[in-house]
Amino acid sequence: MSYKKAEKIGGYLKFFILLVFGILLMAPFVWMISVGFDRSANIAMPFPPRLFPDDASGFNFSIVFENGRLIQSYLNSAFVTVTSVILAVSSALLAGYAFSKGKFKGKRLLFVIVLCTLMIPMEPRLIPLYKLFNSVDLLNTFWPLILPSIINGMLIFLCKQFFDQLPDTIREAAQIDGAGEFKIFFQVYAPLAGPIAATMVILSFIGSWNDFLWPLVVLSNQELHTVPLYLASFSLENGTSLGGLTMALATVSVLPIIVLYLFLQRYIIQSIALSGVKGE
Amino acid sequence: MAKDHLKVIAQPDKQVPVGSHKQRKRKVQVTWYLFLIPSFLGILLFLVYPIFESFRLSFYQSNGTIEKFIGLQNFQTVLTSQPFWNSVWNTFYIGIFQIAIAIPLGFIFASLINTTPKGKNFFKVIYFLPNVTSIVAAAMIFAFVLHPEMGIVNYALEAVGLPTSQWLSDPSSSKWAVILLAVWHWIGFIIIICLANLQAISPEMYEAAKIDGASSFQQWLFITIPNMGGTFAFLLITGWIGALQRFNEVYVLGGPSGSPARSIQTMGAFIYERGFTGFEFGIASAATYIMFIIILVFTLINLKVSKMKL
Repeated sequence: MSYKKAEKIGGYLKFFILLVFGILLMAPFVWMISVGFDRSANIAMPFPPRLFPDDASGFNFSIVFENGRLIQSYLNSAFVTVTSVILAVSSALLAGYAFSKGKFKGKRLLFVIVLCTLMIPMEPRLIPLYKLFNSVDLLNTFWPLILPSIINGMLIFLCKQFFDQLPDTIREAAQIDGAGEFKIFFQVYAPLAGPIAATMVILSFIGSWNDFLWPLVVLSNQELHTVPLYLASFSLENGTSLGGLTMALATVSVLPIIVLYLFLQRYIIQSIALSGVKGE
Repeated sequence: MAKDHLKVIAQPDKQVPVGSHKQRKRKVQVTWYLFLIPSFLGILLFLVYPIFESFRLSFYQSNGTIEKFIGLQNFQTVLTSQPFWNSVWNTFYIGIFQIAIAIPLGFIFASLINTTPKGKNFFKVIYFLPNVTSIVAAAMIFAFVLHPEMGIVNYALEAVGLPTSQWLSDPSSSKWAVILLAVWHWIGFIIIICLANLQAISPEMYEAAKIDGASSFQQWLFITIPNMGGTFAFLLITGWIGALQRFNEVYVLGGPSGSPARSIQTMGAFIYERGFTGFEFGIASAATYIMFIIILVFTLINLKVSKMKL
């Protein structure tokens, strides 16, 4: 009996600890929104911190929207991300399928090459890629952000694993009917790939939306800045002055992603977990 | 169109001449290579070529237009440059503490979430939330959160009677500001990965332990932790790969030179500074190769160490 009681108290304790740390983790977001509504925070941050500003107004937000650069950067980010995701997912579907169901010379070697690409960081490629896109006069366009997303080793790997689980018997049936490999892929396997495609869209969306270093190198034209680039340039220009505006800007750039996340949380968390059990 | 294609491949089958069997096989093989064309075009153009070009550049003095072969001089410049070793030190310092704090803490939270009687999914969603915001926006918020006079962290520390810090205003504490931000941002990822793997541990082991009279803490210590070896190894390796490439948040917090006083300039920031504010492509390329080798060696060591544990 007392054992059960201890378990119960332990349960409440766990809940309490999680709640306290959860609040601590969320505090920066709550504070961000609160300061965003505080016009006077542009001169001096409200201190001691308070949840509701003394003189709440949408002033900071209206400046952020009137300025227009955030909206422009949102449009830029959206365009780059959507095209990159389409490119990344379709090329990974094709390659992942071939590595799973294909029979051809050098399959193992080529797959090892794909896995090796996971080990190569961006930094050593930065300058040659910059020079490459410079030589074809594509700096300050979206091409350098979109084109390299055609290769994503992680997505190919996940995709291969997914197709590995699908039985070969469907293939053989279609083959007896005389269907070619492309037809088998597009009409038989691609329609079954919904779950893994969703995962791939989520993972490549997160990667592309948050990409920073490479866009920073190739986009010097402010009009083409993506959201992270605009945030960084604003932050570096103003330092820790203009607190109200900075926080309004941060809110507008973070909140839509959070809302999207809350709607899709089950799928997003599943996708992240899937990308993490690859080692097993 | 698909139908024509179908005919071409289907035809040889009907006649079944012994000699053309090989030919047919080759045709099918070629189709498979077509599937791989987009990816391998990308690998050649955006991975293989840059790696070799970067290697070549590291032996040249270059600003992008004029090039001059200078042998190993770039490597010598980098390896004897104090700011480079400073950036290596900063990168490892921030990485070690980020990983040493975040993985155990994340695992503890994951274990708590896994066994909490109420709000499992709620906590999962909340704890992962920092990770979905871009690190750039997070750094922008943390510049204020960690402000020595007006920030909420110092306010909270003072309120509970703990010592406060100058955080980003002082070179001696600025690395800890980055560590705090990195832990806050990364911990959700650790929790999700741990939770997924916690749920994969077979419940029978716990049943057996319960029958033997093991308390839940003992079960955690002797069943859960030993079964998470592979997960910790994965987190350690991905954590280090990420930590050694750290750039975004230190750029937002301290600019390309990692102010104050280069105290948070990472290897990535050093390369960016030399390559794209100074346009010293040769020196930056040499630095990227040194960094690349550091990452490679370190990953191999990590793989070896974690395999031994498994």
